[in-house]
Amino acid sequence: MALGLEVPPAVAEGAWIEWRPVRPPYGPHQQSAAGRRAAAAALAAAGSADRIVSRDPGGRPRFPRGFAGSISHTDRLAVAAVVPGAEAVGIDIENATISPRVTEFVLRERERRVLLPPVTRYTPRELFSAKEAAFKAMNGVGTLGEFLFWQIELSQSDGTLIASYGGERIPVWVRSEAGLSLALAIRR
Amino acid sequence: MPDTAAEARQRIRTLLVELLGNDRFVSRVSDTESLRRAGLSSHALVGLLVAMEDAFGFEWRDDVEPEALRSIDSLAGYVAALRN
Repeated sequence: MALGLEVPPAVAEGAWIEWRPVRPPYGPHQQSAAGRRAAAAALAAAGSADRIVSRDPGGRPRFPRGFAGSISHTDRLAVAAVVPGAEAVGIDIENATISPRVTEFVLRERERRVLLPPVTRYTPRELFSAKEAAFKAMNGVGTLGEFLFWQIELSQSDGTLIASYGGERIPVWVRSEAGLSLALAIRR
Repeated sequence: MPDTAAEARQRIRTLLVELLGNDRFVSRVSDTESLRRAGLSSHALVGLLVAMEDAFGFEWRDDVEPEALRSIDSLAGYVAALRN
């Protein structure tokens, strides 16, 4: 069985996505190391000579110039996306069960009304993950100031999930399989 | 609602242990360290914020500053300020 979820070519155009397992004992150090291995593999696939991802003072991963990237992990799996030439990228994977209270906290009333079943097929976990991925892509640019991922607003336009904050809009792609949700936001 | 930030810090640590199911994270994170940088997931952070609403009897403002949610110390300071 392949590791992780596949992203359709139309969504991942120009993107290099790599998955790596978290090694035992699956703690924060192992999770972070798996993320760095996934990022190094994605950078290599994208043609970057520099495959080291450092951290900026705020703790965000700092990818080599010209190779926008993002990392996410659960306790067992890490993923990294690199999009050469993009302005910013956000990727997120989630395997947690999103409780009704957490759903209510993260999604505004309007978002719950128009984006959850039966109106759409998005799950609370997919929308949680979509906000996280969009936050990484928007926060990576650094022009929007300090904000929290749930302050991003989600809407749907022509079947595409759109994340908005501070006048910025970015499309987000989400998919779930076998208890894992993946969200990808690319700011080109 | 706790009277002091010290009481709030202790209660937040207890909430984290209950949320995570063990004390491994709480035993190694300092009061002033960034919870996210220390490895707390975004899902767990939101779970903590929801648990704090129930434990302390308040609701987070929609426009809460990210800095207020950074650490056990800043969370406890926010709660103590509400009390005062």
